This record gives sequence, structure tokens and C-alpha cells, in this order.
Amino acid sequence: MTTPRQKMLERWTPALLLAPGLILFFGVIVFSAFRTFWISLHEWDGFGTAVYVGLANYRELWTDPQFWMSLKNNAIWLVVFLLAPPLGLAIALLVNQKIAGMRFAKSLFFMPLVLSLVTVGVIFSWFYDPTFGILAKIFGLFGAEAPALLSSERYVTFAVVFAGLWPQVAFCLVLFLAGLNNLDSEIIGAGRVDNARGWQMLRHVVLPQLKQVSFIAIAISMIGALRSFDIISVMTSGGPFGSSSVLAYQMYEESLFSYRYGYGAAIATVLFAIMLIFIVWYLANLLKNENGA
Amino acid sequence: MAHFTLTRRSFLATTAAASVSLSMPAIAQSRELVMISNRGNPGQRAALEKIAADFGQSAGVKVSVNNMDHEAHKTAIRNYLVASPPDICFWFSGERMRGFVERGLFADISDLVDREGWKKVVPSMSAVTVGGKQYGLPTSGTLWGLFYRQDTFDEHGLTPPETFEDLLTFGEKSKAKGLTPITIGTKNMWPASGLFDHFNLRINGLEFHQALMEGKVSYTDARVVKVMNTWAEAVNAGLFTQNATSYAWEQAAAALVQKRAGMMDLGLFIKQAFPKDELDQVRFQLFPTVDPSIGRFEDFSVDSIHIPSGAPHPEVAREFLAYFYQPDNLKAYIEPEGNVPARTDVDLTSDPLVAMATDALKQVDGTSQYYDRDTSPDVAQAGLKGFQEFMVHPDRVDRILPQIERARERAYGAL
Repeated sequence: MTTPRQKMLERWTPALLLAPGLILFFGVIVFSAFRTFWISLHEWDGFGTAVYVGLANYRELWTDPQFWMSLKNNAIWLVVFLLAPPLGLAIALLVNQKIAGMRFAKSLFFMPLVLSLVTVGVIFSWFYDPTFGILAKIFGLFGAEAPALLSSERYVTFAVVFAGLWPQVAFCLVLFLAGLNNLDSEIIGAGRVDNARGWQMLRHVVLPQLKQVSFIAIAISMIGALRSFDIISVMTSGGPFGSSSVLAYQMYEESLFSYRYGYGAAIATVLFAIMLIFIVWYLANLLKNENGA
Repeated sequence: MAHFTLTRRSFLATTAAASVSLSMPAIAQSRELVMISNRGNPGQRAALEKIAADFGQSAGVKVSVNNMDHEAHKTAIRNYLVASPPDICFWFSGERMRGFVERGLFADISDLVDREGWKKVVPSMSAVTVGGKQYGLPTSGTLWGLFYRQDTFDEHGLTPPETFEDLLTFGEKSKAKGLTPITIGTKNMWPASGLFDHFNLRINGLEFHQALMEGKVSYTDARVVKVMNTWAEAVNAGLFTQNATSYAWEQAAAALVQKRAGMMDLGLFIKQAFPKDELDQVRFQLFPTVDPSIGRFEDFSVDSIHIPSGAPHPEVAREFLAYFYQPDNLKAYIEPEGNVPARTDVDLTSDPLVAMATDALKQVDGTSQYYDRDTSPDVAQAGLKGFQEFMVHPDRVDRILPQIERARERAYGAL
């Protein structure tokens, strides 16, 4: 027999358990997103009165060459970051072998993961420094002059993405290593019995079992590419003259340096809309898998 | 990244003190002073903390100084002035100060200035004056110009250029000796805008420069184009560091220190780049003239100290300003950074760099502050970026100027 008190508890427990998460989600994410959109309809310097300007900020975005530059750079980030999952998988397969010294190699590959992105950025900017950087020294060995990557409009974004790729590959490596440890040994055994080895084994036995992990690795890499900000701030501040800026950095620059919060919010809204595509894709996949299982 | 050095202990102490004073208002009126400092120079930070401690002791005030990273402070100040103003803060005079004054965020201290008779000893008081009222006190200023090493010059038989033609010949000579004529690092963008100031002040004079900074002239005006053409001539002559956008000013200054470059266009803080025992080789020269009919106008940026209008203890803050602004205290505060003191009765000419700048100031007919201090932040950001690009691609001037003009029009309206 249940007392009214128990009944009440039964009804409220799920709500109470969900409450902290829901409050955080609605307060920090949903409310902020709507508020950002609302600010993007205004001209606001951050502390004066905000003037409603409708879609003027979005119209200006359309004609702002810097916006298109940032968007293009975001696209470069996305494409290059897609290399992270396959590279991570390749290294995971390599260090997953039972060979002496592999533990040491593994920890070397892990290393960028424990470094803050800011540190990675600083290290890479030294690496690229055209006078005393390693890159300059390597070029010097061959009697050539190293290009000043961080000064070159054409290469700067690639130079920064490459630095960002390093920890991202390490992250994918960790995911895949975990996935490799969870492989079903019976299926692998069955594969062996059927005389599968090498490429065949990987393609038809191992990879299908890593599907879930690969999906997470790809989704997180793409969202990571769109989020990129800190490493750009450290390495180039979006420079030279905005040629390595991305939407997140431009938003920061417009809001905090030019004091144009409305315009910054408009950029944030566009970035959010782009991210939404990946987030929805990610969630839809996740739900499908959960329902399927 | 912001790093408050507001320690846990001092935070606890402050809150404890605040709660004690709240609960026992009858026993002790709270005599407190909260200060936010953005001073990056460790020597200056120590000097400020000593002045604050001495003041606290003699006036019976509990003083807390919260130190903040210089760059982070530039954005944080907008928050704290509105949300939780301290009693004292540091800022830049000029347009950057005016923005806050117009929003009523800095307290009017004209009565204090009058009472203490400071106007007589502070020629740069105009830098903190808006509508005839003072909203802060200038502490010190840095004069901008060309710095060089006497020993490098002696070694290569170079002489400091007086005119633009001299500058071009100087460039040829230094390049022949394997030196970068003028070292510059534009990674943080602002050094390029200093050159714009110099050329504009030399070609069009102070009045035009101020009108431009106040948004009253278009950036596509023929006079601005003329400035850019002269500047382009200098860039195309190879006067400046290659790949300048890769370097911050510190790295660019290293080239000067290590005798790989001839000169550098900077403020007095170049001192920080030199080892102490090599400072006696450093010389200062005003930027060369371009149009001899134009007077000597220079960038002289003045830092200042303010009382936010929301200060919780405005009376104590005024007492502190009076104490801080005494010649001896002001001197102790400025000495470590080596700038020109705002008070004429503070003599820092024992510092050879300050002596040279003070001397040079005597030939100066009028001053502006610095590009990003003189114009609205939105225009400044567009200008800084544009000038950085210009120094790499002078041929893009037809695209760069309209881009800055767009920002000017946004900030100041169509002409």
C-alpha cells in the first residue's frame, strides 16, 4: 500500500532529479541563445541604451568582407578537422599493438591532450617564428628561407588549423583506443577462423564495431572546429588584418574591441545556426541509436 | 587572460571588514578604499602598493589594491564601472575617458583640482577635462618618436634623419649595412597606427588630425590619401621590418637592442626592452618632418587616475588622490615606468630617457594622444586593422580607406 506521501514522492522524484540539469540548460543555454538573438536586433555598446534596429546588423553582415572571410576560414577549419578522426584511428591502431615501448609512444601521443590549447598555440607560434623558429631552422638547413606562415594571408589559417589539429588528433586517438579495447573478442576470433586478416579484418570486423565511436569523433571534431577561438586568439589575434579570423573570434572582436555588442550577437546567432545543423544531426543519430538499441 | 591578484585572503578580509562595518555602524564608520590597478610594471606596482599602504596608515584607512592584467583591464573596466565600481581606478585620458564621462561613470573632481591648485603645475590637465570639468588626474605621459642606439649609429656612420628625404637616404644606408632601417612589429596592430599619426601630423597638422579623429573628415579625403601615398613611399622603399605582422613590439624592439635594426618608432616604454647597462646608448629623435611649413605636433599619450562616480567611499578616494598626487608620491609612482611626469614640479630628468623626452617636448607645438586613444573604439579597431594591412599591401589603399570610412560613418554619422 502506498501512502499519499509516497505517491507524491513518486510523482515528483523524476522532476526533482531533472531540475538541476533543466534549470542549467534553460538558464545558461536556451535563455542565452534567445537573448543573444534579441541583442542582435539592436545597436548596443555594452552599457548604454540599446536601440532597436531590426535586421540591420544582419544586412551589414551580408556586405561585410570580414564576415565572409571568417566564414570561409570556418569552412577550412571544418574540412581540415575532418582529418582528425582518421588520423586518430590510424595512430590508435598503431599504438594498440603489443610491442615493447608502445606505452611510451602512447603517452607521447597523449601529450597534447593534457596541454591547454593556449600552450599549444604559443608553442606553435614559436615553431613558426620566421627568425628563430624550428621551421626557419629546417628551411635554413636546405639554404631556403622559411615562409612567415603567420604573416601570410594565404597560409595563416592552415598554419593555425594545423596547430589545432594536433590536440584534436590526440583526442580522437583516445576515443578510438577506448573503442578498440571494447572490441568483441569473439567476433574477432570468428574473423580469424574465417581467415580474415590485415585490411579485411579492419574493414569488415573492426571498423563496424567502431561505428559509434567514429560518429562521436567526427561530431566532436566538427563542433570543435566551429568553436575554435582560443588558439586563434593566442597565435594571430585573427591577423594579419583579419585573414585568420573565424566567426567566434570576429564576434569577440566586434563586441569587446569595437564595442558593438549587437553586431557581435548577430555573428553569434549565425554561428549558432551553423552549429545547430551539426548538433541536430548528432542528436538525431544519438536518438536513432538509442531507440534502435 | 584576466588574472586577478585579488587573493582569497584579501577577499575574505574585505568581505569580513564590510560585514563587520555593516553590523556595527555605530562603533566605526567604515574607512575603506578599494583600488583597481592595471599597472603591469612590477616596480610600479610595488610603488603603488607602498603609497597605498602609507596612505592607509596615516589616514587610518583600510586600503585594498586589486591588480589586474593590463590588456584584460581594458575590457573589464566597462563591467566594473557599472556593476561594482571601486573607489580608484586607472585609465587613459582623452577620447577613451570621454566615453565614460559622457555616460556619467567618472566622478567630477573639479573642486578638488581647484582647491589643490593643480592646474598651475599640470599642463596636460586638458587631457582629463570635458566641458570645463576635470574627471581625473593625469599621472604621466609617454612621448612617441624614433629611438636608436648611439653605438650602432657610430659603428655604421649613421645620423638621425631630420626630414623625409633624410629618412629615405637613412633607409638606403642602413640597408647597405645589413640593418633593418626601422624595426616594427604589427602583430598587435597598434604600432602601425602610430606611423599613421606621425605622417598625418607631419603632412596635415594637428587641427586636421583632430578633426579626423573626431569623425569630422572622411577617410577618403584627398588629404588622407596624400598621407597614405607618402607612407606607401616609405613602405615601398623597404624602410620597415619584413613580415612585421609576425612580431609583437617586444620582438621588434629586440632587433634594435641586438643591433640588427637602425631605429624604432615607439614610446618611452622601449626602456623595458633594453638591459639596464645598455640604456646609456639609447637616443631619442622626433619623427622627421615631411612638410616644413607644418609645426611640430606629436603623440603624447597621458595615463590618468580616476574616481568612478559609483565609488562607495568617494570622500576617502578624494583624500587618497590628494595624497597620491603629492610630488614625492607621484614621483615614486612614475619612476619605475620612466614616463614624463604630468606635474611640472616632479623632476625625473635623472632618467636619461625622460630627460631626452622632456627636452624634445620643449620643441613641440601641440600634442594628440595616440590613434586608438583619440578616436572612437569602433573606428580605432577598423583603422588599426586597415593600417596593419596597408603596411603589407600599400597598393590596397583604395580598399582599405573606404573600409575605415565605413566604421567612421557608423560611429559619427554621414558627412
